[in-house]
Amino acid sequence: MADLVALVLSGGGGERVSVLSSERAVSAIPFGGKYRIVDFALSNCRHSDVEYIGVLTQHAPTSLHDHIGAGRPWDLDRRDHGVMILQPYLTRGTSGWYRGTADAIAQNWDVVEDLKCERVLVLSGDHVYRMDYRALLEHHGATGAALTLGVTRVPPDQSRRFGMATVDESGRVTRLIEKPEHAAGSIASMGIYVFETDVLRRALTSGPVDLVADVITPLIDSGADAAAFEFEGYWEDVGTIGSYYRASLDLVAEHPRLALDDRSWPILTRDEERPPVRVSDDASIESSLISNGCRIAGTVSRSVLSPGVVIEPGARVEDSVIFQDVVIERDAHVRRAIVDKYVQLGAGARIGGDAGGPEWLEGLVLIGKDARVPPRARIEPGAVVGVGAVNEDFAGPVRAGVRLPNRTWYGDRG
Amino acid sequence: MRSSRYAFILAGGVGSRLCLLSERRAKPAVPFGGKYRIIDFTLSNCVNSGIYDIGVLTQYRPTSLNRHVGTGRAWDLDRSRGGIQILQPALGSIQSDWYQGTADAIYQNLIHLRRRRVDQVLVLSGDHVYRMDYDVLYAYHLANRASVTVAVTEVPEHTVNQFGILETDPNGRVVGFQEKPRKSVSRLASMGVYLFDRDTLIRWLVEDAGIESSSHDFGKDLLPRLVARGESVFAYKFPDYWQDVGTLDSYYDANMAFAGEKPPLDPADPDGVVHTQSADRPPVAFQIGSHARNSLIANGCRIAGTVERSVLFPGVSVEAGAVVRDSIVMHDTVVSRGAVLDRAILDKEVQVGAGARLGVGDASVPNRVCPEHLSSGLLLVGKGAELPEGVSVGRNARIGAGVTRDRITSDIPPGGVVDGPDAMH
Repeated sequence: MADLVALVLSGGGGERVSVLSSERAVSAIPFGGKYRIVDFALSNCRHSDVEYIGVLTQHAPTSLHDHIGAGRPWDLDRRDHGVMILQPYLTRGTSGWYRGTADAIAQNWDVVEDLKCERVLVLSGDHVYRMDYRALLEHHGATGAALTLGVTRVPPDQSRRFGMATVDESGRVTRLIEKPEHAAGSIASMGIYVFETDVLRRALTSGPVDLVADVITPLIDSGADAAAFEFEGYWEDVGTIGSYYRASLDLVAEHPRLALDDRSWPILTRDEERPPVRVSDDASIESSLISNGCRIAGTVSRSVLSPGVVIEPGARVEDSVIFQDVVIERDAHVRRAIVDKYVQLGAGARIGGDAGGPEWLEGLVLIGKDARVPPRARIEPGAVVGVGAVNEDFAGPVRAGVRLPNRTWYGDRG
Repeated sequence: MRSSRYAFILAGGVGSRLCLLSERRAKPAVPFGGKYRIIDFTLSNCVNSGIYDIGVLTQYRPTSLNRHVGTGRAWDLDRSRGGIQILQPALGSIQSDWYQGTADAIYQNLIHLRRRRVDQVLVLSGDHVYRMDYDVLYAYHLANRASVTVAVTEVPEHTVNQFGILETDPNGRVVGFQEKPRKSVSRLASMGVYLFDRDTLIRWLVEDAGIESSSHDFGKDLLPRLVARGESVFAYKFPDYWQDVGTLDSYYDANMAFAGEKPPLDPADPDGVVHTQSADRPPVAFQIGSHARNSLIANGCRIAGTVERSVLFPGVSVEAGAVVRDSIVMHDTVVSRGAVLDRAILDKEVQVGAGARLGVGDASVPNRVCPEHLSSGLLLVGKGAELPEGVSVGRNARIGAGVTRDRITSDIPPGGVVDGPDAMH
């Protein structure tokens, strides 16, 4: 589709996912074992024949840039199109940092103009779903709308998490309210938009900061023709700890709502070369997703393991999400935790449990990248261990509600 | 900068001792170790030793190998200079024909050395499982001022009749070479890894091409002749794991060793990662009630039943109540509810019906048509075969590729054979 450019918003710092985004963009957080969250949007683009893609990054983008590279896994390493990383830059006239989503698009508007695209598809890099954008674009074309919003039904009690849309009988969005306490309907905006390029160009001239507050809501309020396209498949914004955790655990439910193994719509990712999963004599594995390169000698249930995780004999992992190359030593127990890359959990450590700590953490334990948790350490449910935590951080049990500080790899307190 | 290097990989062999597994694919393309092909070890050795210019000589059924190698991308061999080239026999040049032997295969491709500025040429086989830094071989070769260096490994005395056996003097210089001798004082077997000085290789290949009685084989003809005529041939003794997986039994044992507690080599070793063409598959899904122990299980598998001491390639489904024991199961094969596999090798995309039992009865009855390869109690099912519900299949049986459900109307006894639609013996 040469008349279209997709802009994937991946700049968010994601304060709501705590240590998981200390050193990476939310879009680059591992999901489903071997994937990163952004793989879903990029794979959707690839399978929907979207050929021009700009990924807007700002917060800690290294990991995301490494992951996307030249776009090879998605066949986006093309000579004259493909994927571009759009990072803030300086000019003589501007400070460069993106002040918000609309500002990020405005600062890269040259890219859109150079491609001479008639339409701009705006996506988020933080969503997990499989969607054929061609149906959305066809709907947009057929209705002749100025913009089209992807919408989906959500339970009414979830309205506080979403932009709630009012849709009239002709399928037009007449109102959009951000995160209302109570919503009249159940139709939520997915954060997926198709704009006629002219419409977006005009809206950006007034210097908007936020795409929803300063562009889309004013357009709707001023009576612009905004169509709604209802998406009926599984869709989840995983930008909070709770939603991320639940979406991860849903993958190991008896009937997962998101199919990762549909050969007609594979989720494409940058795959590191790893050997098959090695299962040892005392291993016991149930209801889990285990990626290549893992070595399992302990017990794993209802958990998602990224590549290269080592579970030693006697160790037990339940209801948890474990990122790449984590080592869980002998007889350590982990329950309801999200453990970031390269963490080492010492022998006999007791991590997590059922409840405790602040509400946003939902009783989970988060352990930041590179942390070294000493043998027999105790971390109570509802605690957060900072990136690179070291031995001396664990003098006593880490209590619910405590957040151990991040440390940089060269030793200072960060 | 390192001087440039070039390697030929011989990948044309028929591999008849692997029976069904190499009936429709070249031996180097036979799946191994849960996600690899045999040739991955040699290709990875090359790139891990800094060799990025490779010609792969193919002849027998190269399609599968071709597809696997592709542009060479998985090994970083998709380069604008060098990279990987498949050298299939072609018509049109002055002497051109099917390759008569390994030496002839290289002889017919000498053109590829013409403009390459290399002092040595590495000649490898695509049939072996090992990790080797060829740098060490080059250093040994140069230190000895050898014109040919042959990598050797020590083999058990009773197996010398399967290898080319070298005798050396105390300095490591080769003084005798016998191809598959019945008995030998030496136990040093050629690994099929040769480093030649470029000019030596060309000179001897040209001479060999003119000898009518020659079978044009490195092991049978060229090396014995070189040694006999006083060429400076040295043996480099390789200290680590090396395995020829050319027979069903050695192939099975090597796979099982990889699944065991102490695998002979770690494919993830950062000093020498074994690379392969990986399909995009989700992580392994272990479901409620699954039991898995002592096994290698690749991405894309779904496990609801029991897996013990087995190697499962990507996309295998083991349904609830099914048992896979001491077996090798290749890509996308489905083991339906309640089916039991015992010492079975199943090629890709096999459908095992519910309650079927594979590997039952007497292991002492060898296979009816290939008793020499299939007599140790293994059982072989070819690609895409369908086994009906509840059928029982005896040990040493062989079920051909593409056999359909309706072709199997009764249980298959030990040593039994069901041929596929286009069977080749």
